[in-house]
Amino acid sequence: MDIATLKSKGLLRAVSAPPVAAVGFPFGLGTRGLHEVAEAAYGDRAAMTGFVLTAARPAQAGAWLWITQTKFAGDLGLVPEAALRQVTGGAPPPRLSLTARTLPDALWAVEEAVVSGAVSLVVAEIEAADFTATRRLTLASGRHGVPVVLLMPPTCEGATAAATRWRISPRPSAPNRYDPHAPGHPRWRAVLERCRTAPNAAGTVFDLEWNDETLSLGVVSGLAAGPAAPCPVAREAIARRKAS
Amino acid sequence: MRFSDARVCLPNLIAEEIDREEDARALSVLARWMTGFSPIVAVDGLDGVLLETTGCDHLFGGETAMAARLAERLTRTGYGHRIALASTPGAAQALARYAAAEGAPQILPPGAERAGLEDLPTQALRLSPEAATLLRRFGLTRIGQLYGIDRKALARRFQSRRAADAVCLRLDQALGLRAEPMVPLCPPPEYQARQPCPEPLTQGAGLEAGLQQLTQALCADLSDKGVGARHFVFSAFHSDGQVSEASAQAARPVRTPEHILRLFREKIGTINPGFGVDLLLLEARRTGPMDVGSRPLSGDLAGSAMDEIALSALADRINARLGDGTVSLIRCEARYAPDKAERRMPFTGELAPAAPAMPAGEAPRPVRMLDWPERVDVIAQVPDGPPLSFIWRRVMRRVVRSDGPERISPEWWTHLPDTDAKPAPLPRTRDYYRIEDAEGRRYWVFREGLYDDGRGQMPEWFVQGLFG
Repeated sequence: MDIATLKSKGLLRAVSAPPVAAVGFPFGLGTRGLHEVAEAAYGDRAAMTGFVLTAARPAQAGAWLWITQTKFAGDLGLVPEAALRQVTGGAPPPRLSLTARTLPDALWAVEEAVVSGAVSLVVAEIEAADFTATRRLTLASGRHGVPVVLLMPPTCEGATAAATRWRISPRPSAPNRYDPHAPGHPRWRAVLERCRTAPNAAGTVFDLEWNDETLSLGVVSGLAAGPAAPCPVAREAIARRKAS
Repeated sequence: MRFSDARVCLPNLIAEEIDREEDARALSVLARWMTGFSPIVAVDGLDGVLLETTGCDHLFGGETAMAARLAERLTRTGYGHRIALASTPGAAQALARYAAAEGAPQILPPGAERAGLEDLPTQALRLSPEAATLLRRFGLTRIGQLYGIDRKALARRFQSRRAADAVCLRLDQALGLRAEPMVPLCPPPEYQARQPCPEPLTQGAGLEAGLQQLTQALCADLSDKGVGARHFVFSAFHSDGQVSEASAQAARPVRTPEHILRLFREKIGTINPGFGVDLLLLEARRTGPMDVGSRPLSGDLAGSAMDEIALSALADRINARLGDGTVSLIRCEARYAPDKAERRMPFTGELAPAAPAMPAGEAPRPVRMLDWPERVDVIAQVPDGPPLSFIWRRVMRRVVRSDGPERISPEWWTHLPDTDAKPAPLPRTRDYYRIEDAEGRRYWVFREGLYDDGRGQMPEWFVQGLFG
């Protein structure tokens, strides 16, 4: 009796859950595969960190590994545990952090962590990753089922093997219900520049708002338009950038 | 002969100062290399090395063969030497310094100390110069002459009781009547595996093969005893009297050969075989009991990825390549100051205990916390109000919205007045504001001090972190 027969009789089934199709927001960010998140301009790193902390929800419970290149850790410091605690509503995942001096060291550490399978998410703040590096990490991530998120500086351009590339910039926060002079829920603009899993979605602009009471990331209804729709202006801008 | 006399005889004589420091270093390197012969080695004074050969001589085919081997190796390395072997350290030192010659090692059988030391001068007993001079003045020049003298009569001849006791002690130690403990250079390892090479290894591949065999042997030994180790030291003894070391550390006790080899893979390249390596040694230090649990049958059954063993194995591999202590864990501490409430600690194989429950009503905390608060120039509308605009990192930022203050007081109990030492001045109260600039970037700034707190200087503003 071969495996196909066993399967047809229902005696054999795959133990792993079938892969979830990553077609909706956030297109598999932090769930499966390799994703790039980049700053729109220098100084947007905090917005980018906030976006990743709120949007990335690994499928498995487990420890996170946060890799930072020393230059970024020296520039803006690390992500404190308190932020992770507030973002997850008081149940932060255990997190190991490490700072790597050079880019090869950081990329090596990412791959090592993915291959080991001991962590549930790897977040790496690195200065660059070329096509070879991202392809290599994508393959490793797919084989071992550990999602990877790369946080990149605004210089992140060009070809990539990552499943998606996001570009994050901060937006003025939501109006505060209780105090009009105080900042409200944080808002970001996330532009999905590239998307391998859903190529049609590339160019979509998401105006997102993080509600720290309900712990949900929602789309802001635009000022004039309705819910988040592909923004033609941004699409043209991306097309122009690709062409140039 | 004085130096000027010597120079008359030999006009082109060059004088150099003795470099005691360098000598001591060379001696300790030599002593370290001697651990290839015996695990317990001590440096003796400025020019001697003491080996405890009990139980080691048969490995080399007897004491005579061991002494010959040692002499051959030292000659090849270029050291002049005199070797003596006796049952007590005192007798061995006396013989080595006053009886042995290069190429003629002295070996004293056990119990023959009395006869063997009889004809040696009394200086051989490691006496102080005064005691040696005094003995010589009494006409006691040979150790044998001391045997017959009544101890009390001997003590009476010395001015102080201590000097007399020192002579008796040294004599008794040399004869084995009193114990003389040795202080080894490095403590003998609990677990070690050694691999002598019949022919010196000159290739890196040979070292790797040797390490593989040693790891297998050591891990078999460790698992027989039911322990693991957190620190492994691999030493290569070169034929030219040098020792190269590579060490690997683990976050929790391990005894898996593959894992240990993996940790050494990055480090073994630093060992240059040079003219040849003739002994490989692998030691296990910091041993401890291992928690051995049954592993889940499949990855899906493992459920949580909180596999601390797999995590610490990962941390070990990263630490082995990027430096010890690279992988760290952030631990929360019960402190008022937000920049002191979290501390990075090296990961030691255990994840943090369950995080403290989120304090109810905790104000939002930034997603990036600067290592040190950075001073900013601020324009505020009212002295005790939030800033209107500020310059941080040379860029002017106009504040649109602000929230605060969240007042965080210093921890007065850490600055209690002490009885004798003057306490450090109490830090000033901080008023934290959450502000947002025109571009939507959100900052966490604070004003250190209040305008009317009577602390003299004007309050200053700092950026502490950035909100997402």
